[in-house]
Amino acid sequence: MIKVTINGREVQLDKQVTILEAARRAGIKIPTLCHFEGLEMYGGCRLCLVEVEKMPRLQTSCTLMVTDGMVITTESEQIAAARRGMLEFILTNHPLDCPFCDKAGECELQDLVYLYGGTEGRFTEPKAKHPESNVDPILARNIERCISCTRCVRMCDGVVGASAISMINRGRHTVMEPFSGGKFDCEYCGNCLTVCPVGSILSRLYKETYRPWQVERTVRTVCGHCGVGCSYDLQVRDEAIKRVIPRIGEGLNRGLLCARGRFGYEFVGAKDRLKKPLVRRDGNLVETTWDEALGFIAAKLSEVIKTHGGEAVAGIASVRCTNEDNYVFQKFMRGVVGTNNIDSAARMGFSGAQAYLESLRGQGVSANVIAGLAKSDVIFVAGGDPTMVTPILGLEIRGAAKKGAKIISLDPAPGLEFFNPHKIVPSLFAEGAVLESLLCRAVSARGMTGELPHLEEAIRAAVSAECAGVAAQSGVPDAEIEKASATISGSQSPAFVIGPDIVQRADGNRNLFLLAALSYVTGGRIFLLSGKANEQGAVDMGCLPDTLPGGRPLAIDGFRKRHEDACGMSVPAREGLSLMEMFPAMADGRIKALYVIGENPAFNLPGGNSIKSALEKLDLLVVQDIFLTETAKMADIVLPALSWAEKDGTFTNLERRIQRVRRGVNREGREDWRILCDLAGRMGAAMEYASSEAVMSEIARVSPVHRDLHYSDIEAGAMQWPYHGEPLRGEASTVSLVTASARPTVGSGRFALLVDRPLFQSGTLTRRSKALLKLIPKATVKMNPLDAASLGISGGIVRVSSDAGSVELEAVIDSSVQMGAVKISNHFEGAGVFGLMTKPPVDPVTKAPAFEGCLVAVEPLKGDAKS
Amino acid sequence: MEKVLLANIDNPKSAEIGVYEASGGYDSLRKSLELAPDDIIETVKKANLRGRGGAGFPTGMKWMFASKDPKFPKYLVCNADEGEPGTFKDRPILEKNPHILIEGMAISGHALKAEFGYIYLRGEYPAAKGILEEAIRQAEAKGYIGDNMMGSGRNFKLAVHQGAGAYICGEETALIESLEGKKGHPRIKPPFPVNVGAWGMPTIVNNVETLSNMPFLMRVGPEAYAAIGSKECPGPKLFCVSGHVNKPGVYELPMGVTLREIIYDHCGGIKNGKTLKAVIPGGISTPVLPPDKIDCPMDFVNMPKHGSMLGSGAVIVMDESVCLVKVCLRALKFFEHESCGKCTPCRDGVSWLRQVLARIEGGEGRPGDIELLSEVAGNITGKTFCPLGDGAASVVLNFIKHFRDEFDMHIARKGCPIK
Repeated sequence: MIKVTINGREVQLDKQVTILEAARRAGIKIPTLCHFEGLEMYGGCRLCLVEVEKMPRLQTSCTLMVTDGMVITTESEQIAAARRGMLEFILTNHPLDCPFCDKAGECELQDLVYLYGGTEGRFTEPKAKHPESNVDPILARNIERCISCTRCVRMCDGVVGASAISMINRGRHTVMEPFSGGKFDCEYCGNCLTVCPVGSILSRLYKETYRPWQVERTVRTVCGHCGVGCSYDLQVRDEAIKRVIPRIGEGLNRGLLCARGRFGYEFVGAKDRLKKPLVRRDGNLVETTWDEALGFIAAKLSEVIKTHGGEAVAGIASVRCTNEDNYVFQKFMRGVVGTNNIDSAARMGFSGAQAYLESLRGQGVSANVIAGLAKSDVIFVAGGDPTMVTPILGLEIRGAAKKGAKIISLDPAPGLEFFNPHKIVPSLFAEGAVLESLLCRAVSARGMTGELPHLEEAIRAAVSAECAGVAAQSGVPDAEIEKASATISGSQSPAFVIGPDIVQRADGNRNLFLLAALSYVTGGRIFLLSGKANEQGAVDMGCLPDTLPGGRPLAIDGFRKRHEDACGMSVPAREGLSLMEMFPAMADGRIKALYVIGENPAFNLPGGNSIKSALEKLDLLVVQDIFLTETAKMADIVLPALSWAEKDGTFTNLERRIQRVRRGVNREGREDWRILCDLAGRMGAAMEYASSEAVMSEIARVSPVHRDLHYSDIEAGAMQWPYHGEPLRGEASTVSLVTASARPTVGSGRFALLVDRPLFQSGTLTRRSKALLKLIPKATVKMNPLDAASLGISGGIVRVSSDAGSVELEAVIDSSVQMGAVKISNHFEGAGVFGLMTKPPVDPVTKAPAFEGCLVAVEPLKGDAKS
Repeated sequence: MEKVLLANIDNPKSAEIGVYEASGGYDSLRKSLELAPDDIIETVKKANLRGRGGAGFPTGMKWMFASKDPKFPKYLVCNADEGEPGTFKDRPILEKNPHILIEGMAISGHALKAEFGYIYLRGEYPAAKGILEEAIRQAEAKGYIGDNMMGSGRNFKLAVHQGAGAYICGEETALIESLEGKKGHPRIKPPFPVNVGAWGMPTIVNNVETLSNMPFLMRVGPEAYAAIGSKECPGPKLFCVSGHVNKPGVYELPMGVTLREIIYDHCGGIKNGKTLKAVIPGGISTPVLPPDKIDCPMDFVNMPKHGSMLGSGAVIVMDESVCLVKVCLRALKFFEHESCGKCTPCRDGVSWLRQVLARIEGGEGRPGDIELLSEVAGNITGKTFCPLGDGAASVVLNFIKHFRDEFDMHIARKGCPIK
């Protein structure tokens, strides 16, 4: 125990901290500018000077550690004079343009000058001039206001690990500059913006549009983009989101944000938001009333059910809607329509992968705390770049690497490039051979415990081949795999981060099996990346053809009965169709009606025209969305819904943390669940809830894993798996493992088409966020430089053609793209990668579509290709 | 006194290993390698060797701190970033007598159990780089340094690292940052480099002259060494004298010689029969002294009692023709230019001082300017991150303290009164 005296008060400390921290704990505030919690110590601004007994000079409290018996004074005439002096110095180089500075009102310098500063300036010499730089599309840089505290640089370098900015020059000429000189050209996380104490780094999204004191509401909510679920505040004025700001140190993101989270909110106020229900008349969608629209759906849906049975209807739930929306949706489909044909875009990899991993290693196997990555000593990343798919989780990996964890990346992960990853890049689609070889070595190095006999039996069957021989199939030198194997074997707590790319394969299940087995043998934890805000929630709410809310298998009669009793509605016994099985069923007439909430299958699902032609065959297509999407344009009825910023509810993130989504913006319209309840009433079923909280009360009754969960629990703190209840932790009794048939070979001018997942775009929502659109304004095709050179391409427009069609895109040369492959994202209208895919094969176990089967030709367009 | 540091300096081939060996070079290393490392540290403590870089910290004590740290590897760094204006004392060693430094570093490396040594060389000494590297090559070829030096089983590898021209890199933590390839900014202390230095390892940073004292010290022993010069602060000392003296240059004299002796006995007095106006005794950062204060013994212990500091031993002599406001301004220009920009008072305060001085010197001084200078300098003093800003403020305060009239006259007459 350390005892110190601060301003005459005795303070006891359990460990050595800085004087600043000791004072803070005692409720004594010491002014600071360059200090910021979580950043490396700096001691540059000299504002936090204090007197320490027996020390001749004033000491910086942010750098000096307390020692037992220290006597400290934080306020005295000498200290006030010193602080006044420091502020006077800072202001000699400051433009004093508070009247038109965005930061005025929340500026730390302004506040401190009010507190300590002199009332008049003695500096009469000319001030340095630096015109504000507005060359960057997102961030404005005003060097005149900069106080050289370097908080931005320490954030970018030390915490985010992007190392995009630096202090250049010296002395009074010190300025913060991006490495490119003008544009920031960085990851655009904007965390530099969070820490800037003055108006030096500003967001151009809201610059000069309001003053901080004009904010009408600050609403705590959870980000609606990826599956990490970062906490932040929406600041609203005139029913428009003015900005998104994090709360320092709070939430699982502890105040950090990424580009999508911080700057991707403009879609909420987009002009083309749907405002009124639309009905198709004479081939055109025209505005109608809610009453008419819902009446039409009720009549038409009842007719389909009456004529063809409930199983002629399918529903697609939303990975962007709340748990409450999705719960009510599956209840409507099962209880009112009478079908288990219900799935969501989580089927694109996440849900099938999770179910399969759970069948091998028990329920909740991927429910590991994101922050726990920091405690891992080896992190194995496969199937995607976590810094792009789930950026804040990516930062956690970088943080672990900084603390000494070794990173192994199977396939390129450019965002981890600065962190000394051991990169293993097998030939295209041959990750399985690497994994098998690693598993083989891990089994011989560690043996098995006997804990899960069925899994072990399957492992023994799978690794019968000789370790090195398998490796040869991957094109990776044996020594490379041996090195990785030694790293994993030497680990106390390995983590396996699994991204979508390795799941979306014809033998994705085999990759998952090998990863599950590897993690089992090495005692590792699994992190399953999720690119959408509520994929886990859609799964947990039972938006699956074979599973009821809470992970109860439909096939077990006892579970189904218990569920029926709890929710008061009957549930059909027959398993429904999964997402990719629905479209052939529409095409051949087994499904007559499709109800879609918050999803855009015509664009977001692979299959190109086959999806669209399946949709065209429907007798009824209902779409609830916030935009007139490609799918909505084909619908018979379109209902305008509310975005995540306009409603209350909950999201469940990829680590199975349930978090509150709160209404920040008031907008006319109805939540998805409210629309469905209204419709249920019109179809003769009573589904009534007073609020989203009431929906949660029912979920807490119906779902075993959400037992007794209420909003008050979520408000009170972290609500994490397994919540109040015990999970149904089972184990594998039989292990399904299906190996894929032969793959198409690339070469002779044909490239494997891969999905690009960039940091700044994720599709429908981000392409309506102006700021993000400036960062990636249009669709591109990324190619390896050698492939591009062989085709004489060095940029310019190229035509990419597959059996499904062709698009013209700008070629981008990117050495992180593997030879033999090209990458296109699925974000821009008419140029999505999925549109180029003809009916992709589906993994028989996870039912996820496989993206490796699509080959494309790339040709430069005459005249457009640069020489 | 027998020349130790500058022995052989008049021989045009003094930098060659043969010349150095002929006068007993590397014998001390051979002898030292037979001693236990801690015994050498004890010897240095007994000899009361103080660091010659400017602060005069007892070398033996610094070595003991580093030696007690259990972390390995340890690094020995020679601070050859001789940047203090007026200072050129290390240059003759680096260019004319490099083997004395190499031998000194090898002995020190053995004492400190450091197997890696760096010479952080001032960027503006390009000739010295080639000379040092050639001398290192020669010493390695003879097996004096490198792996298994002189068959002792001890290793000591030496490399020259050229600075990029920043004064701040003479400060040991900024030097280490620069050595690591980063921008030269001083680090937070504690931890001190002796515990957490280059790449986080215990690092001993010593001045060229300090390390070059080692072969002599080991040869004659601590008692004989301590008998030279001042009792409190013994040993030979290099003084580099510039300005208005008849014989400027580098002089090797015993510690404690008075400033008057240096100027009048060794350097032949003031040039052209003019009178002495001011002396800066230890490099630009040390307080200026008026003519009536030059009977002070030049060593680390006694100079502070006479209102200044020994600093680097760079004596800058100014006669009656010099405008001291201009000198003060010139010094502040230097400090403003060299401020690293890390801390507020040095970055903004020193610049402010320079701007006010420039006005006064340019004939645009205003009543109250001197008070303003004093207050601004006072706001800097004791509040900066490292001694650079303190040094700048002290220059202004001391010039005003001793020569206030000249500042007043500049303001009253709207220009320099001297010409």
